[in-house]
Parts: sequence; structure tokens; C-alpha cells
Amino acid sequence: MTDKIIELLKKSSADAWSVTDIVTEAWEFYFIKHELDQNRVRDVEHITVTVFKKLEDGKFLGKATEEIAPTATKEEAAKIIADLCERASFVKNPYYELNKKQVATTNKEYDPKQMAKDYIEALQQIPETSGEDINSYEIFAESCKRRFVNSEGIDVTITYPNSMVEVVVNARNKEHEIELYRMYKAGTCDKEHLVKEITETLKTGKDRLETKPTPALNKAPVVFSTEDSAKIYAWVAIKMNAALKYAGYSDWEIGKEIFTDVKGDKITIKALKELPNSSKNFAVDSEGAEVHDMDIVVDNVAKNYWGDCQNCYYTGIKDSFIAGNFVAEGGSTPESEIRTGCYLEPVEFSDFSVDDITGDIAGEIRLAYYHDGDKVTAVTGGSVSGSLAELLKDVKLSKEMKQYDSYLVPSVIRIEGVTIAGAE
Amino acid sequence: MKARFSSYLTGIAPGLKKLIDLLGKSYDYVSVLSTDSVGFSMSASQRMKSITGKTLMTERGTVVRVYKDGLYSEYSFNLFDTDNVEAMADKIKRALDLQLDVLKATSTKVFNTAKLDDDKEELFVEMETKSLPEETDLDALMKKLQGFSDKAVALSEEIIDCTLRAQSTHVCKMFLTANRDLRQSYVYSEGAVMLVGARNGRTDMAYNGISDREGPSIFDDLSAEIDKSYKELMDNLGAGKVVPGEYEIITTPEVSGLIAHEAFGHGVEMDMFVKKRALGAEYIGKRVGSDLVTMHEGANCVKDVASYAFDDEGTLAGDVIEIDKGILKTGVCDALAALRLGIKPTGNGKRENFEHKVYTRMTNTMFDSGNSTKEEMIASVKKGYLLSGMFSGMEDPKHWGIQCIIARGYEIIDGKLTGKVVAPVVLTGYVPDLLGSISMASNDYVSFGTGACGKGYKEWAKVSDGGPYLKAVARLG
Repeated sequence: MTDKIIELLKKSSADAWSVTDIVTEAWEFYFIKHELDQNRVRDVEHITVTVFKKLEDGKFLGKATEEIAPTATKEEAAKIIADLCERASFVKNPYYELNKKQVATTNKEYDPKQMAKDYIEALQQIPETSGEDINSYEIFAESCKRRFVNSEGIDVTITYPNSMVEVVVNARNKEHEIELYRMYKAGTCDKEHLVKEITETLKTGKDRLETKPTPALNKAPVVFSTEDSAKIYAWVAIKMNAALKYAGYSDWEIGKEIFTDVKGDKITIKALKELPNSSKNFAVDSEGAEVHDMDIVVDNVAKNYWGDCQNCYYTGIKDSFIAGNFVAEGGSTPESEIRTGCYLEPVEFSDFSVDDITGDIAGEIRLAYYHDGDKVTAVTGGSVSGSLAELLKDVKLSKEMKQYDSYLVPSVIRIEGVTIAGAE
Repeated sequence: MKARFSSYLTGIAPGLKKLIDLLGKSYDYVSVLSTDSVGFSMSASQRMKSITGKTLMTERGTVVRVYKDGLYSEYSFNLFDTDNVEAMADKIKRALDLQLDVLKATSTKVFNTAKLDDDKEELFVEMETKSLPEETDLDALMKKLQGFSDKAVALSEEIIDCTLRAQSTHVCKMFLTANRDLRQSYVYSEGAVMLVGARNGRTDMAYNGISDREGPSIFDDLSAEIDKSYKELMDNLGAGKVVPGEYEIITTPEVSGLIAHEAFGHGVEMDMFVKKRALGAEYIGKRVGSDLVTMHEGANCVKDVASYAFDDEGTLAGDVIEIDKGILKTGVCDALAALRLGIKPTGNGKRENFEHKVYTRMTNTMFDSGNSTKEEMIASVKKGYLLSGMFSGMEDPKHWGIQCIIARGYEIIDGKLTGKVVAPVVLTGYVPDLLGSISMASNDYVSFGTGACGKGYKEWAKVSDGGPYLKAVARLG
């Protein structure tokens, strides 16, 4: 169908075009305890067509996008393309250039059956007890093939795996039962890593059974040691996204410091072409641009915006791309030294949210460890809040690193002066 | 006019019925949900415009559900050749048998479930709409949105940009079994204004939206949201931070809706009862809120984005009273959860799209209104905040914690708004304490449907929620 659509596009009034064809074979298993609730197969193809029209002698470039069903007739596809050509003329954006460079790729086959089986076997290995066990889990294993073709000469196909497991863990004592929620994303199943992580979660569940109300600390140091820390670095990366910059929502400038009056460690973030077993290991991005390693922020100084070709063109960045993998470099301090003195370490939020535009963070504490010297108390309730735009001026980054799917980040980050509403 | 049913679905219906017959030779129950939903999404700001044919609910595809030996299995696909149905039936069976091989190899047991009923039922619904997305003049609409954006940015030099968004979807769904043939067609639309500004190095935003089970004609009303958003943006840019603590609060209908959704919407999704993940299961018949708390949930309880005729399992839409004068009466549930719990489904079995599993999901979740006025409620507050606008919320059905990120709070001292604003505000607490503290409800009744709801961190679905202004006590941070 894609080749038929390409022929129709060549004959259309489009000034430029692109087609993305993604074929997915997915296996899914849903469990209650370790009993199968439901099994599912997804066998789908999605063909998305984008048409570009030059407007006012090329001063503007309009764009319109729509999916064409693989079951569409030739007449239906031609009608959609004609409509897109008209719609693109309503979208008067400044001119920009599409990607042109053809990138060579080598592809592998991935087996969703084996991936799903590995996940089932990993979950069956978790050392459950009468006090801590698995409530339910959902396994998603995909083999994907993405072909991107555009009018500028790119025709590139990549294959990649994508997987996810959602796990709910229970812990109980005589008085009550609690649950913890985890979602692990990766390319394929890393059994050893998954078993280690979920086993650790069982321990966290046990701790949550014996908690005290979070004290009203008002302002205090907070150590982030879970996947929530990746959201903090993701905010820095997003502020360097060309779309946010062009929209005026980020005031960070290339060559200038992103935070002034920095008291603590300086942040360095890079885009990486590959991270071991990441679900975002693509040789080309979704617009056909070559993915490579690239500095984004180095020692608190903005180096490169990243993003789609339209916004990168507007912000004057060449050879950029839509990044998928990121590394935030560690500091020089061992984790053990960062974990000293008095601080709060939240390990389970209802939802740790970071606002892309304002940098405001917020989360209700389901479980945190309040460290006061050698004394550690499990606490619950209350919330953590503040603005990353201010808070990231005074942080300590661990030397040790930890990976969460497409983010490789310091294993802990200590942030001073976070607002903590207690539950006492 | 009527929202006309998809000719594509009408065309493949005989082939799908044949597929059901063929699969029926190998399985004890077979159903098919087939979808063909089209629409558009467009945005206009000072710097960028866009048009796509994609919204949360645009899709064309089919999912087959089969049952045998206590197990439900599904196969989602979007390549269907009505001239080669036998090959499709073979392909589905082979793929699902391969999965059974993996289950055998891993010694996996089945969570045994009974067979769904398949009583005869036919329904054909083409709902009324003032306009259709596929017949909309998108050039004129783009110019209208652009005009709104121009008007907004002219209000202040502190405004960085104003983005107008408009989405409209014509939903067509067909549910078939050996004995059932249900078809529905309706249109829903949603629009939003997002105003971003900066003052003294601080960037902030205000967001307001409109929604209805209606066509793109609703977008004329977006103009009224601009002045409101401008005032709120200025309030946010001049806002301070709340001193963490417990306060009297008054929630606007939008924030009341967020509380309804997060507090007891998710808490009584009964697929969570099956997994023993919801505390609500132990509180049926017990008090969970004050006498002023009555809460409805269902596709029929208001007309908004989640008001359909039947759900994704072919159960007709309902209107359930979940909480009646503070007493938890029941929850909502999908068909399989209902079978497992021995109750009737409520029409809340929803999929993100044909590629996703059914879960128990909310539709429209509404607090009933009361007899007070907003002014009376403000006058009754000694020290607290009027909470307005929402960013996000998160459910916690197991422990009844609640987290709502509110856009701003207007300070009230001795019954009067002081003009002081705090932003953002994190509302947390224990759900029965929060609902138990509700002491006044206004005579307003408004629903909001511009957002999407996830189950955990996935499975996005359209929902609406709302109610009146409520007075309560909550912890803010």
C-alpha cells in the first residue's frame, strides 16, 4: 500500500511529502497474581502521510498530516491526498527545509514471542513471601518495522524491539495491605535486571507498612534515588527542545549558562545514539534524520537544541534530530557521601509531576525515608513541591550512574531547599 | 443533522459476521468490535500552526475477542479482506494458539472466567449534531483560531504566545456477535486556549477549554475563554507560594470534577475490585463522604465527550449513582469484571482504541449540585483558598490518597477574597476525610471534557467530570 501511496503523492499537487509506515507485531499477556487474565495479539500497520505546500512564492511552507488505512482503496487514498494538499495551504508557517541525507542502516529481526516468554519467566522468579507478593502484571512485547520515505530522496527502514511490563506489588501485615506500582520499559526483556528491581520493590513495600506521617519540614534537602530523578533531567532536555525554544517557552541560549549563581554541581546532558537495551535505539529519527551523539548542555552551558527539522531550522541548528536517549553525567561525589546529614528521600509518589513550561515539580508522598543522621524513618503523606528553575542551582550529583530505559542518570541527586508539606 | 454511520463499517459487516461464524467453530464465544472514526486536530498560535487528521479517538480497525476453556483472548488487526475471511480466521487461530504454547511452556494457569451471555440485541444510533468534522471549512476555522490568538497576545506585552486548539471526531463503532448487532455514530469536539506569559524571569500559563458531544460549531465559544485565561495568567504571574498546611477550600466546578474523578472515579472501577486493588470494595454501603456528597457516573449522566450509546463490549450506556448522600452504593464495571464479581455490567468497558484491551473506565463523573451560592460559600470561609484551574491528578484506589495539582488558589480571609494568589497548589489528603469535610455545595452544575484519563500511566481515554462549587477542608502544599 505504501508504494501505491507514494505513486499517488508523486502525481499530486504536493510540493513535498513524506510517508511513515510502521508495522507492529505485538504479544500481550495480562496476569492476576500469576494466573492469566487475558492474552492478546496485535497485528497492525499504520501509514501516515504528510503533504507540504509552498505558499506565497516559497516564503511559507504549509503542512498537513493524516493516516491512510492500509485497507483504503486507491480512490480513498487519492481523495485523502487531495484533501491534504488543500489543508496544507491553510497552515502558513515560515519556510524550512526537510531532511535530505540518506542514512544506511542495518536491521535485525526481533521475536515478540521470545520477549514475552522471557518476561513471564522473569516474573515467575520473583522471591515472593506471605508478606510481600505480586498482585498483577501486564506484559507488552513488540517487534516494529518503520519505513520512512520522503520526496527529498530518503527511503530508510529500521527495525526495533519495544517492551514494557507493568507490575503491582502488595505488602501486608496483620493490620493492613499496601500496594506499589511500577512500570519498566526497555527494548527487550533483561531478566536479571527486572528480577533485581522487582525484588527491591518488594522490600520497599514491606517498609511502607510501618510508616509515620511525613514531618512538616517546610524547606529541606531531598534526595531523589528512583526513576523520578530521570524526570528532572528530562525537564532540562525538554527546555533545550527546539520546539519549546522557537515557541518562546524556553529562554535558554546557546553558549550561555542555563542557571545563574550555581552553588552545587553543574549539569551536563547529552543525546546518545545508543544505550544498552533502550527502547529508543534508532539509527534515524521519525523524520529520517541521522541520530548521533550530541552535547545538549555541558557544565551548565547550553550547547545544542534538538528536535524536529522544522523547529531546528527555525532555531538555526544543523544536523540535529529528535533525540531518544539521554545521559546526564554524574558528579564527583560518591553516593555514600551525598547520603549524609538530614534529608528526605521519597521513593514512591502518587505521581511525581514536572511541568515542562514552568519547571514546577509536585508529588504526594506515598513512601519516603526521613534520614536524620544515622536514624532512618519511613514516612508517608504530605507532598514535595518547588520550581526546578530555582532548585537545580544547588544540587549534588552522585558519581554512580543508573539507567531507566532511555535515560542514564546519576544514581542519586540531592536538591537543597525543596518545599515539603507534612502530614502530621 | 444526524451523524451518519460509516459506510466502510457497513461494507465489512457481512465479512465480519462470517468471521464470527468461522471462529465460532473453534471457540465458545466470539465478538467483534470494529471502528472507523475520523476527525481533525488543528492549532494556531503566533509562531506555529498545524492540521492533522489525528485525535485521541480517530482509528480504523477491528478487534476480535474469543473465549474457550475459561480464557478470553483477543486479536487486533487493521488489514481485513472481505473476500478472504477464511484466511483471516486461520491466521487469528494460529496466532492465539502460538500464545497458548508459550503458556504451556511456562506452566501458566488460567484465571478461570465464565462465558459472556449473548442475548439477542440490535441497536442503530446516529446521534444528532449541529455539524460534522469532515464537512468543516478548515480554512475558515484556522483563520478564526488565528484571530483569537491575535486578540489574546494584544492584551499584554507579558504574553509570550497564545495557542488555540480545536479537535473534532466523528466516532463510528460496530459491535457484533452471533446474536448482537450494535452500531453507533456520534460527534464530539473539544477546544482550548493556552496562554503563556513571563514576568521577572518567571514563565507561567493559563489553560481553559470547552467540550461537548457536538460538532465543530462549538469552537465559536472559544472567544469567551480568552479573557478568562488572560486574567488567570496575570494572576499566576503575580502569585506567591502557599504556606503548606490545612485550609478551608472552595473548589470551582472544574476542580470539583478533578476530585470526583481522582477520589472516587478510579476508586470504584470494579476491575480493580477483581484484583483486590481497591479499598472501595470494603466500603459498599458505608459512609465515605458528608450528606452533601452524591456522585453519578455514566455515559448517560450528562452530555459531553464520553456520552455514547454503548461501550466497547456492547453493553448499553448507563447512569450509576456511586455515592448517595455520602454512602458508597456501588461502582462501575466492564463485562468481564462483572462476570467475575457476579453482577451486571454498567456500560463502562472502554478501550483506548481497537488495539487495546478493555478496562473498566470512567465516562462522565459528576458531583450533584446543592443549594448554596458561590458568594455564600466564600462568605463562610474564615481562612482559606478558592481553588481554580487544574493541571493533573492521580488516583490511589488502594489507599484512598489523593493528589491534585491545581493551577492557582485565591486567598479568602474572613469571608472575603483578598486578591492574593498562590500558584501552583498541590492538594493532598485522605479521600474520606476530604469528602467527609464537604460542608457546602453550590447550585451550579458544569461538566468539563477537554482532558484525557489514563489507567496508571497508560490507556488514555476521553472522559468528562464536574459538578458544583464545593466547600471542604484540605491539605495544601
